Amino acid sequence: MKFVSHLDMNRFMTRLINKAKIPIWFTEGFNQHAYLNFAVPLSLGFEGEYEILDLRIIDPDYSNSQLIADLNAASVSGIEFIKACEPVFKMKEIAFAEFLISFDNITAEIEEKIKNFFKRETIITQKKTKKGGIKDIDIAPLIKKAELQDNKLDLILTAGNENNLNPTLVLGALFDLEKIELYYEVKRTMIYNKETQSFI
Amino acid sequence: MDNKEFERLLLTVQKPGRYSGGEINSVIKDKEKVDVRFAFCFPDTYEIGMSHLGMKILYSQFNERDDIWCERVFAPWTDFEEVMREHNIPLFALESRDAIKDFDFIGFTLQYEMCYTNVLNMLDLAGVPLKSRERDESHPLVVAGGPCVCNPEPLADFIDIFFLGEGEEVDLEVIDLYKKHKKNGFKRAEFLKEAAKIEGVYVPSLYEVEYMEDGKIKAVTPKGDAPKTIKKRIIADMDNCFYPDKFVVPFIQIVHDRAVQEVFRGCIRGCRFCQAGFIYRPVREKSMEVVNRQAKCLCESTGYDEISLSSLSTSDYRELEPLLNNMLTWTQENHISLALPSLRIDNFSEELLEKIAHVRKSGLTFAPEAGTQRLRDVINKNVTEEEIMSTCKTAFLGGYTSVKLYFMMGLPTETDEDLKGIADLGQKIVDMYYAMPNRPKGKSVSVSMSVAVFVPKPFTPFQFEPQITKTEMERKQAYLKSCITTRKIDLSMHDSSTSFLEAVFAKGDRRLGDVLEKAFKKGCKFDSWTECFDLQKWNEAFIECGIDPDFYSLRTRDYTEINPWDHLDYAVSKEFLIRENKLAHKDTTTPNCREKCSACGANCYGKGVCFERR
Repeated sequence: MKFVSHLDMNRFMTRLINKAKIPIWFTEGFNQHAYLNFAVPLSLGFEGEYEILDLRIIDPDYSNSQLIADLNAASVSGIEFIKACEPVFKMKEIAFAEFLISFDNITAEIEEKIKNFFKRETIITQKKTKKGGIKDIDIAPLIKKAELQDNKLDLILTAGNENNLNPTLVLGALFDLEKIELYYEVKRTMIYNKETQSFI
Repeated sequence: MDNKEFERLLLTVQKPGRYSGGEINSVIKDKEKVDVRFAFCFPDTYEIGMSHLGMKILYSQFNERDDIWCERVFAPWTDFEEVMREHNIPLFALESRDAIKDFDFIGFTLQYEMCYTNVLNMLDLAGVPLKSRERDESHPLVVAGGPCVCNPEPLADFIDIFFLGEGEEVDLEVIDLYKKHKKNGFKRAEFLKEAAKIEGVYVPSLYEVEYMEDGKIKAVTPKGDAPKTIKKRIIADMDNCFYPDKFVVPFIQIVHDRAVQEVFRGCIRGCRFCQAGFIYRPVREKSMEVVNRQAKCLCESTGYDEISLSSLSTSDYRELEPLLNNMLTWTQENHISLALPSLRIDNFSEELLEKIAHVRKSGLTFAPEAGTQRLRDVINKNVTEEEIMSTCKTAFLGGYTSVKLYFMMGLPTETDEDLKGIADLGQKIVDMYYAMPNRPKGKSVSVSMSVAVFVPKPFTPFQFEPQITKTEMERKQAYLKSCITTRKIDLSMHDSSTSFLEAVFAKGDRRLGDVLEKAFKKGCKFDSWTECFDLQKWNEAFIECGIDPDFYSLRTRDYTEINPWDHLDYAVSKEFLIRENKLAHKDTTTPNCREKCSACGANCYGKGVCFERR
């Protein structure tokens, strides 16, 4: 499923909901459509282990367990629905996201470089602005956790509308500044609020 | 190659979703438990191929059977092709990711002539020898169907079997025959000889073509007991023929990203330039109940929120109004919008507009095809200027402020006056808009006119006609441009190099096989994509093969000349096409099939419009 972009994922969900006949709320504007809202878009090429989706059920007798059963029955291999519940937090409370980065076998030397990289006080890298320009930013304060173990890097980065940090940018800076080149795979494992309470 | 490695490579190309498979309703089977593996190839990109209804029908129908596994294959875009060649990845099927060179059948659908180089490229990527005679028992059978098969001669060297007409029945008959042969020790040559006895099956290698000194065909002779003419197959009873209850629903956006419900096949009109209007005869409708039921089922199984009613001319469906009323009862409730492509100018009503107004408003497109009544009579496009004006008026009153009109240039008997007629018609529509007291307030009008170059096609009354030369086209384009004086008209005239090549291959013969192979070896592919089309390479290929393309496209063909496709029988007789051609030159129209039978020959199937009660 990692080849499905965020926009395609939205379209997929709309169709899945139609197919599974979920009694969902439709927006009432000029262009009526099923209301659904993914917490944070997942980049093309990333896997997601615990993604969060908001939707409104209009039938009070329709249970959460029924919802999960119906969605799973209609879904494809690679997209599984885990749990449905009342919202715990609001979407705008999203503050952090956790990622697991898997590398191919890395040498002790490279391991050292990666560890040193995350000890830096400042990590200056270039980021494309929304207006199409490029600006220098310091991403060090946006990295809450970085732990390397068994070729896997556990990252907690700021997320949400402001200061969203994409792991691609972190790894780009790592490769740039430490002069290394590694193949990696990204999996997002959780989303948190500012107290790093998970969004389950 | 393991999955991980494959996925890494996918992430290096544009739109990896084209190659990853795993969509809703895609069919996975155990390959050990099937007898026949069929690679259904669409020789263009995923987005185009996945929009094609014929592929959806046959994919579902083949997979209904437990002994067949049919999988989808599309032409990889140039970026992924490079990756595939670099890493020695053979062309694979989306469902299993298995190399298609190990399948029993590789089947192509030929929807337009400009995909021919992609057919060769896909065979090459698959690792299958290009030419039929170079393949042996260890290779798959390479088969092809689709509208271009009505003159498949340029591909005769490369394809083992062509299916003429509609595939639902004949394809399975050939697969069953293959199963029988496979059990008793499959011998290619023997199998092909047997297959040629099935109606609708054309095995080109069983026919000898001789040429005269002037390059025209002297004779086409069958070898052994292959039939002298091959007749196309049709599905006579549309209500009881197979229709899929589900479509594969892509993740990435495709060209026609919606459910498609077929309402009828064929067209009653007989516009003289239109190949589809002749090769799909006779018109056969599905009943309203069947259409309604199948459409609802499709929406439920796919989750699509849009459905289109598909045919060559949907407003000619006799029960359209009651059908729409029935459909609206469930579409509105489920937030599904209805799309009606292929509406005609002369029966576009206010009620119809209202019904489709429930859906999101897109543009309205009509095809008058020619600028003057005289020329519209020549091409038998039975549409009057009055009808065009009243249709546009209806659309404007319905709140539309833009219409799009399609025309052709280079039609037989066309004069500059006819071209000026295109500009005049556009101007009249603009003037009418501003003369309307109740026009949409404060909005400007926009009339888009798109003018394509006419391509004469086999099995039409214009198959005898030449195409215009490039110089003449350029003069005509410049003239038409000079006739337009308002900015409210947006005139688009495409670069038409591809139209010239299209005409050559549409009317071509077997000798073009060498040109095709040469062009492919020079790197020609995706010829219908402007970013890939390379006329220079094609010209080189023609010169190197010593073949003059003008011989095929710029020559008026005598009624008595043997055409490369004359041994194929598409149920419309050559006599009928000649009659129609003569009428065209007398500016005389022919009534449509429902008004009066013109004895084209399509009543031989004993079904359809020819037998409707009037």
